[in-house]
Parts: sequence; structure tokens; C-alpha cells
Amino acid sequence: MVEKKHITDVLVIGAGIAGIEASLMLSKADRKVHLVEKTSYTGGTTIKFEEVFSNMECSTCMVAPRQQELLQDKNINLLTLAEVEEIKGNPGDFTVKIHKKARYVDMINCIGCNACFEPCPVNLKNEFEEGLSERKAIYVPCAGALPNVPMIDTENCLRFKGKKCTACQEACMFGAVDYNQKDEKIELKVGAILVATGFNVFDSKKLPKYGYGKIDDIYNALEFERLYASNGPTEGKIVLKDGKPPKSVAIIHCVGRKEKGYCSSVCCMYSLKFNHYLKSKIPDVKISEFYTDLCIPGKSHQKFYEKMKETKVNMIRASNVEVAKQGKEISIKYNNGSGKKGNLGVDMVILSPAIEPSHDASKLAKTLGISIDEYGFFQQENLEDSSVVSSKPGVFIAGCSQGAKNIQESVSQASAAVGKILSSYN
Amino acid sequence: MSKLKGAIVAAKPSVEKTIIGMLEKSMKKGVFDAVIIPMRAPSGDSFAYVLVKDKSLLKDATPLPPTMFVQGAKAVSSVTRLGKGKIKIAAVMRPCEVRATVELAKLGQANLENMTIISMDCPGVLPSSDFLKYPEKNIKLFNEAAKKLDDKMMRPLCQICDKSSMVSGDLHIGTLGAKKDTFFLISNSTKGDDAANKLGINLKDNIDSWQTKVKTFSDEKKKKRKKAHKELKAKVGGIDNLVETFSHCINCHNCMRVCPVCICRLCYFDSDKVKHSAEDYLERAESKGSIRFLPDTTLFQMGRMMHMSISCVSCGACEDACSMSIPVGQIFSMIADETQALFDYVSGKNLDEPIPLVAYKEEELLEVEDSDD
Amino acid sequence: MKRKIGVYVCECGPNIAEKVDIDKVIEAISSDKDVAVIKKFKLLCSADGKKFLEEEIKKQDLTHLVIAACSPKDHEKTFMEVSEKAGLNPYLFQLANIREQCAWITEDKDEATKKAIRLIRAAIGRVRYHSSLEKKEIDSNPDVLVIGGGIAGIEASLQLARPNRKVYLVEKAPELGGLVTNFEKNFLSMKPLSEIINGKIEEINTNENIKVFTNSEVDEAVGFFGNFEIKVKRTDAEDEPVQFDVGAVVIAIGSTLFDSKKLPEYGYGTLNNVITSLEFEKMNKSGKISLKNGKPPKSVAIIHCVGRKEKGYCSEICCMYSIKFAKYLTDKIPSVKVSNLYSDLCIPGKTNQKLYEQAKGKNVNFIRFSDAEITKSKDQLSVKYKDENGSKTNLIVDMVILAPAVEPAVDASKIAEITGIYQGDEGFFEEEHEKINPISTSTEGIYIVGCAQGPKNISETLVQSEAAAGKILSSLVPGRKIEPEVKTSEISEALCIGCKTCLSICSYGAITFDESKKISVVNEVICRGCGNCVAACPSGAASIKHFKFKQLYQEIREAIK
Repeated sequence: MVEKKHITDVLVIGAGIAGIEASLMLSKADRKVHLVEKTSYTGGTTIKFEEVFSNMECSTCMVAPRQQELLQDKNINLLTLAEVEEIKGNPGDFTVKIHKKARYVDMINCIGCNACFEPCPVNLKNEFEEGLSERKAIYVPCAGALPNVPMIDTENCLRFKGKKCTACQEACMFGAVDYNQKDEKIELKVGAILVATGFNVFDSKKLPKYGYGKIDDIYNALEFERLYASNGPTEGKIVLKDGKPPKSVAIIHCVGRKEKGYCSSVCCMYSLKFNHYLKSKIPDVKISEFYTDLCIPGKSHQKFYEKMKETKVNMIRASNVEVAKQGKEISIKYNNGSGKKGNLGVDMVILSPAIEPSHDASKLAKTLGISIDEYGFFQQENLEDSSVVSSKPGVFIAGCSQGAKNIQESVSQASAAVGKILSSYN
Repeated sequence: MSKLKGAIVAAKPSVEKTIIGMLEKSMKKGVFDAVIIPMRAPSGDSFAYVLVKDKSLLKDATPLPPTMFVQGAKAVSSVTRLGKGKIKIAAVMRPCEVRATVELAKLGQANLENMTIISMDCPGVLPSSDFLKYPEKNIKLFNEAAKKLDDKMMRPLCQICDKSSMVSGDLHIGTLGAKKDTFFLISNSTKGDDAANKLGINLKDNIDSWQTKVKTFSDEKKKKRKKAHKELKAKVGGIDNLVETFSHCINCHNCMRVCPVCICRLCYFDSDKVKHSAEDYLERAESKGSIRFLPDTTLFQMGRMMHMSISCVSCGACEDACSMSIPVGQIFSMIADETQALFDYVSGKNLDEPIPLVAYKEEELLEVEDSDD
Repeated sequence: MKRKIGVYVCECGPNIAEKVDIDKVIEAISSDKDVAVIKKFKLLCSADGKKFLEEEIKKQDLTHLVIAACSPKDHEKTFMEVSEKAGLNPYLFQLANIREQCAWITEDKDEATKKAIRLIRAAIGRVRYHSSLEKKEIDSNPDVLVIGGGIAGIEASLQLARPNRKVYLVEKAPELGGLVTNFEKNFLSMKPLSEIINGKIEEINTNENIKVFTNSEVDEAVGFFGNFEIKVKRTDAEDEPVQFDVGAVVIAIGSTLFDSKKLPEYGYGTLNNVITSLEFEKMNKSGKISLKNGKPPKSVAIIHCVGRKEKGYCSEICCMYSIKFAKYLTDKIPSVKVSNLYSDLCIPGKTNQKLYEQAKGKNVNFIRFSDAEITKSKDQLSVKYKDENGSKTNLIVDMVILAPAVEPAVDASKIAEITGIYQGDEGFFEEEHEKINPISTSTEGIYIVGCAQGPKNISETLVQSEAAAGKILSSLVPGRKIEPEVKTSEISEALCIGCKTCLSICSYGAITFDESKKISVVNEVICRGCGNCVAACPSGAASIKHFKFKQLYQEIREAIK
């Protein structure tokens, strides 16, 4: 009997930093990769950061060369605005059904000049910018997004809601805007699947004691990243709602930790990074970090912490932190390490929320037939063995979709998953 | 700070003859197979470095000649440029020549493993052109001036030299602070210790009087140096003064050729990188109204200075060789002091200390960086 | 040979055409020296545009190509491919960016046109002095050397070994397994580890594609990616070293523990019943946890962060294994009282906090402390420390377990020297990039995994080993030739003065010194074309292909004329 040959193509779900790494490695091994990405852009959450710890390297500069490589790689079939609907089959021979939403802009003809944005009459909150700025119904999420081709948000586009409007199409000199595009159903045959769908952050509104969503000038970590970003809503200016820079800032760690039941591993480090962000733009600003246990494992991380300590940041071990508005200031009430009550007035608060599984993780898990753990992250098959092997043979998991971790660990898991795929599925 | 060890040696009939005697003895005993030492040329009015194999010729050697036509480092380094060789050589040179040799060793242009370097307290050296006016008379005048530590006749750089007794080789002849008819034989390394031992010289004497006199002398010179630099900076500082100072320069590149630490096979300023087309020259003439030929002389001077400043030993060979009497040595030496101070570096002082070019850290240059911090 | 430079200006739709007066540009440049033809086109990167260029190159018999369009990051590769297809060496081409650097940054059409002319002239000035460059191909060996037979080395070997890829696994000790063979359980699952470890070792021993050398060390590892020459010698015999070739090396030499004797306040080595975590693991695995007098301890203090201040980093695993120890103790000695003295509880990861919460109980205490000192107290131990409020407190226990910092393995410097990779300030091997390339090193083909790269737990170690396997499986394919960098450095024999400045500057080990000629030589296969040696060379002997003085000088000259 002739043994059935495994299909060598691979499906990678999620084009964040882990998915990009895996796709490039697989392509190097001459595998054809179908990279399915839910949004219209690659890079995931990493490209929302201006700088990364611990050497404060420019995040987009770090990722952009890889995104470019990805876009020009002939082995990688990038499917944006796409989601997996169904998988059938066995390892070595999966049949995957993809639902690909129409972008309504031709990816070959569009040259990324952005001329179609201005004439669009619809203004909406920009999700990429965490709602801090606006976008049009035809848009790219941020300056420098790759692929540099806009999409039409059909839920808010006038034309797609039945009104007469061809403003964007008229503005395009290349005939790239195409209202006739249709959503596609694509069927792929692949030998292995890697899931690297990333994460969401805990919704701080669930904890009213932090005042998030009620009191002005309280930001969560992702919002603050966008505030500091040079391609963000304020072009990197850190300002309060009244337009002035803050004189004092409180950074509150472990938001949602008790509720989620685990330490998200990256927050202490990025909270210290925020200290650097603030000091670099506002040298005299007073910063207080409210933390419970400082979690900074890794050979280079404590060095960074020591460096931040030299900027005279106030590290306060605290419990029972509460945030309230007091006149013009924001007042932080807390119990310090010895149990004594403390009070601090600040202009701005940054919350470091827990990392959660992405909101459609459980749906995707059902579709793929893989288990999720009690926290909602994708479950590894065997706690004593490789963490990238899911409960279903042929399906691998990497990055924050498997559990909160930093970029180094996500990239390593992506490479590990590729290692598993290349060594077991030939 | 290396621990210097010394011995008081009887200098009969003279310091010079004693040194030569010691060198003869060491060749006889096989401590050295050859000696590089200045010698008076047969014609009479020139002194050159000679590699002596026949020890009977040492009697004509002049360890401290009145002139430095060829910088000793150039002579010594060319012997071992391609490898240390199998024979043991002693080289007798002035302190600045020793320092240049050490710099060259760091730059891979000399191998000092089989070399024992011997220096002496230096009274300075006469400018070559002055010497050549009345050679015989000047030899006498030099010897007298040397004894009295009178530097009025010496090179301008020698007059402000604060390193004339710096020990960076293996052995050093210390005449300052020595009692009549004696000198100090000072060792700075195991090679030096070895050589002294083999000659039966016990390095157990107190050299405090030498060290004290050296310090006093060097401090005085430092003051003189500081004053001279201040005056010089006022004279040549600023682009206009600089251009004027170098306006005599004819691009003969003598300075570069005699400089011991200018070691490029083909100087940038001799290469075709500075040869431009007629259109280029015409364009330059157009934008400025006119262009002088030979062009880019100040550029050459500043370029060379930037290139060798970290290794400059302030010997003044360049100024000595300048056919147009430009005080190029004084200017380069002044800037070299500042360049080296930036990195806490003294060129040629210590063979084990790497040249900042490969060893400096970013933090060392913050004071010269244009930064917003 | 007469030059025939073809210049093509892309309109890029309205992007360039509306901002730059292309006709004026053409008029200005058409009479420039060596310009055989200058034309404009609507969109050169389109299928039509590429076809047009290909035909033009052939029709006009061009010797050089200049395209004025968008950023090289966008389409340099595209146009190089077009050149190659048309039979023109792709390096005889230069792209002038008159979009991002010109049309997109000003509204002043006059200024934009002037600048576009300059940019194109600069490109022409440069391209005149371009040389053809050819791609190289060299054979590669797919086999792999794994240094270190602990869990990291074992996992990497298992992932890599196949009939067309041999793995050579070299282990210094008499047995495989490394540190994890001492652990009864893994804190992640609290299940026995030996089954899984022994299973993996069994797999290694029965895998005919893995050659294991125990009681052995790597003596030499010279070469470059795809072609390393390895010498392995025995530590227990005087045999001739074994020689073989590999294409990649995985360094998995693990770690060791900080020597607690260096901190006399903990009493390690002087007081009875003060032991390190590794000693406790071994004791626990042997089946009997007991004091020196043979009796089981009634009270135990576990002290975290021993040596943390001295080392300057958090070793990541100690809080978790200390929690594991509390569990070992309470499972095996039901009435034992355990006190964990810690500074900051480091328990990242989804299941670790749960474990911590389960471990806390009426007999297990977690106490935040600073400044501990251990002294003898009759036949027990007195642990003096400052508590959270800074008050001095005393704890009397039978046994103290120290959790010392994780240090690089003792052989780290030796391995670094043999392989030519670097160690960071802490002594662990330095990765190529902290975030996105943590297991590669600056030497292509040499990877670092496990605790050799930095303190980490077993799960992370397994991931890194598999990641190294992934890197090797994807880049070192059997039968596939390696294409090294084309734009490499070269050192002129005539101009090199032998000062060796470039040798210390090159981070890739691509430069060697020829002792007979006394000159530096670049290995073109290893060279990555970074240009550091060119910048550092004091005598101008080093230069980079495609970035020669004349090319750059003419480009700048034309730009600022």
C-alpha cells in the first residue's frame, strides 16, 4: 500500500509578531504558507508600541522589515480580513474553509497614496488608536500599516448602508476602489495549522474602583502606548484632556489580576517602560508606580529596572488601590506595604490591565477542535512537554493565544511550532 | 604605574662611553645579537640610526646625537615590521622615539618581542636646518647645552616637552638627579630586569632623586607648555587664522612622510580620491570666484591631524621636515594633547593599553557629542 | 566601453506626475553625459510597466539602468528582477526615490522638480561606477552538533535527527539528562518528571541518526554556517579527537547555581542543615527528606533571591520551585511548617498563581523579607530577618533551603571562545536580538538554547530547543545551496597596513589575519556586508562592494552640485 503523502502547505492563523515569524521561517523551508489575518493589517499588537523593553528599541522599526519581507515573499499567501470557518480532516491532510471579507480596494492597483480618505464623509472612532482619534469609513488603521491598502468598513459606509456615495472611488486615480468585490469562501488543503491569534486586555471598566471610563485622563496601557506613539493620535505628545502635559502620573499594576487569577508577566516591565516614555517627553514629571510584586525575570530586565529607579520613580508596594476624582486632581487611595493608608494626588493615571485570551478564542477553539484551559487560552496537550502542541494533532499554538508572555517568548514559540511542523510533517 | 627599579652606575669616563661599554659587553655575552643606535656618518655632518652586528663598531656610536633626521621609531619598526625575527636586538632611542615605537607596535607595524628598548633623559634635539648651518660648531654647542639642560637651541616642541624622561621602553638611562660621574640604570620590564641581571647590575638602588628631579623638571615644562598652547591657540585658532597659518603649505607631504605614526601605504591625500576633473575645479572656481592651486592644503593638514592625533608623540619630526617652516608640529601636538585627554590616553606610554580607536566606549565621547540630554 | 544609461521616470499616477514637472526633468537630463534614453511611464511597477522596462533594456541595448520612482524599500527588488530577466546585471541599476523623498514632502512644484532632477542626476552619477556583482552558491552540510546533553540538548536532538540529517550530541558527564534528572516533579504540572525524561533519553539512544558522545567535550568548532569543522575529545581518556563536519551548532550547556558560600550570612557550608535548592531536589528524589541527624524536619525556611543582588537579575524559576518545595514537604511530612521568605513573588504564567494559592495554607507561610542572617540556635537554626515593615524578626527552624541565583555554566567562557560567540554582561550567551531573534547568535548557524541563553524553566527550555530545530530545519535544507551576501567587504592587499583594527570591529568573525603577508582578509561567505570594517579602517584599505568611494562620492557630488 502506498502511504499517502502529507500535504506540505501550512495554515497560520494570525499575522502578529508570532505569525509573521512562523510564516517567514516556513517559507524559507520552501513551504507554502496561507497566512490568515482577521484584520486588514499585519503586525498585531506589537506595532502599537512605540518602543519595546528592555533596550527601548523602536517597535515598528523592528517589525517593519519582517512585514516587508512577508508581503514580498512568494511562498506566503496573505489573506487579510479573513477568518477560519471550518476545518475537517487529519494531520497531514486538513481541509480548511476560510471566509474572506471583501476589502473593496484592489490590492494590486492600489499604491497606498491615501487620496481616498479625505473625501469620505463618515467619521468614526479608530479602533487601532483605541478610540483616541478618528478614521473614515475607508481607511488604513494607522500610518505605516502594511499592507498599505485601505479597506471599506461596510457597517458604517454610507454606500453599503444604501445611500448614494462614490466619493472614494472618484478620488482614486488608479481605479483601485471596487464596490463590486465580494466576500469569498476559500477552501485550502494544508498539512498543519498554527494558531497565533494573540490577545486582548482585561476591560478595566469591570472594576469601577479604578474609575476607568468615568474619570478623564485615566488610560489603559494600550491607550497610553498610542498616546506616546509618534504615528498616534497626538503624534507622541503626552497631554491631558485639557491639552497640557501632566505634572504627575500614577501607573497602577495588576489591574484585574485577582479576577483573572494569574500574573500577566509583561506588565511590570512595560509599566517601567512607561516611566521611560514619560520622562523622555516630560523630564520633570513625577511618576508613582503602584505594584504588588515586582515581576521582572530575565537576564536584562532588572538592569532596566535599576536604570528606571535612577529617574527617581516612586515605587509603592500597594494594595486596595482606589481611584477617585478630587476637585481638579485624581486621588489615589491605597494601603502601603505596612498596611498604612496612603493618598496621592495625580494628573493622570495609567492602568496596566491583565492580558486575556482574545475575544473570539473560544469560538476559534471550537472551530479548530482544540481545547482551551480554564482561563480561555489555548491549552497545550501535555504540561510536561512542548507548550506549542495543542490538544489536537497537527494543530499548534503560539504566542499570547497560549498564555500571556512577552515578545521574545512569543517569537520563540512560533519558531518552536515551525520546528515541530518541519520535523514531524515532512 | 609600573614599579621602576634602578641601579646607580659609575659613569667613567663619561655617561656616553659607559653606555657604549655596556652595549659592547652585552653583545659579547650574547644578551643582544645586534644594537640599533645612532652613529655619526663618515662624512661628518649627519647622524643616522645604524643596526650594528660587529660590536667593535659600537665605539663610534652616539647615543644622544644633536639631531633627529630620521625619527627613531621609523628605523626601529622597519626591522620587525614583517615579524619579530630570530635575533635579539637592543635599540637606543630618545623617549619620544620610544613612544612612537610602542604606538607602532600597537598598530601592527613593529614586533617588540625580541627587542629591548633603551631610552635616556632627553635634553631636546636641534632643528635640522639650524644644525646644518654649522655642523661642527653645533655639535659642541649641543653637548654643552645638554649638560646644562639649556633648551633655547632645541626644537620648539622640545622646549615645551614634559615627557623628556618618560619611561615606556625596557631600560632607561637617568641622568637627572644623579650624583657626579654616575647615572641611574632604570628597568621598566622583565626584559629590562633580565638584561641588567645578565650584565651583573643589581637593580636595588634608590632612584628617588631621579624621580624627584624628573617631576620638578616635568612640572616646569608643563607650565611652559600650557602657556605656549594658550598663545598658539590664539594665533592659529579659528578658520581664518588656520587658513592663513597653512597658506604657505605646498602640499609636499614631507610632514606626513617623516611622521612615525603616519603609516598608510597610500595616503588618502595622495590617492585618486583627491584628483578631480577639470569640470569639478571649474565649478569650485565658479562658486568661490577662484580656486588656488595646489588646492586643499588646509584640508590635507586637518585630515592628517584627525587621523593621527590619537597617536601623536609630539616629536616634532614634521615641523623639522617642513620645507616652508610652518609650525605644524606645535599645532598638531597641541591638538593631540586634547584628543588624547578625551580618552585619558597617553600615546606610547604603555604597550598593553589599546589605542582608543578600537577600545573606546560611547560614554567617553558624550562631552563632544551634540546632544539634547 | 561606451556607457548607455537608460533613465525611466515613473509618474506613479498622480503621485509624482502632479507634483513634479516630469517633462522638465526629461528635458534637463536628456542631454546629460552617457544618458542614452530618458522616458516616462504611468506606473513602472505594474505588469505593463515591467514589460515595458524589459523591452527597453533589450531594445536600447542599455549598459546601466536608472529608475526614478518610489522608495527602494518598495520596488528595488522588483526592478532588479526585471533587469535580471532582461539580461542586465541587477547591480547595474539605481533607484532614485522621487516620491517619498520629493513629491510627497512638498507642495512647491518648482522645488520638487529641481530636487527630482538632482536626485536623478545623483543616481546617474552613482550608477556610472557600479560593477556587475554575481550571486554565489556554496554547498552546505545539514548535520548538526548539539553541545550539552541536558533536557535542552536532548529535545533539540530529537527534533532535528533524521536519515538525511545526523545529529552529534556531546555531553561532558557520563550520562545524559543534565540537571532535570534530579527533579522529582515539574512545578507546572506537579507530575513525576522521570518518565518523560527517561522516555526522551531512551528515544535518543535508539535513534540511529543521533551519535552520542558522553564523557566528551568539544575541542574545536571552526568554520561558518553550512560548513563547520568539529573536533570532539574525551574527558576521561587520551584518545585522538573525533573529527566531523556539521552545518549548524546548538549550544545547550545549561547553567549552574550561584555559590552560596560567597554570602556567609546564610551559613551555607558552615552550618548544618543549610542546603541549596539542588541539594534539596536530590534529597527529595532519593525518597527521604531528613536533617543531618536522620530525623525529618519539623520546620523549614526556604529563602528566595540568594545572590540576586550580587548577580543583578531575577532567576525566574526560584519562586516557583520554592512553592513546589513547600508542596513536596507538606505532601511527605504532613505536620511540617514551611516558611517561604521572599522579596518579590515572581510567578508569571497562567497556572503558577493557582499553584501558589494552593500551596498557601495553615502550615505554609509566605513572608516578605529583607536582610536575612542565619545562625545556629542550639540544635536548630535561627533565621533573623527584617519583615515587610522593616522590623527585625526571628524565625527558628530545623532546616533552611536556599534558592540561589542561576548562573551561566562553568564552561560558558570556554565554549564562547571555541565557537566565537559572545557572552553578555551576566555571562550568559548573547543572542542576536533580544526580542525577535533570541536563539540565534551573531554567528550564523550557531544557536543558544535553554539556560545557556538565560535562566528559564523547563517549558521555556523545550520551546527554545524546538525553536532552534525550526531555525535549522528551515534554513539548512539538505541539498540546498547557501547564497551568502553579495555586497561584501573586500580588503586591498596593497593598502592594508596590518593594524588589525578591522579584526576587533567585525562582529561576525568574517575577517582573519594572514600572518605571512601581514594583511587582513575577508571571508566573503561569512561577511554580512555591515560595513563596520570599512568605517574603522584607518588606511582606506577596506571597501564594500556596491558602496565604493567613487560611487558614493559621485552620488553626493551630483546631489549637491
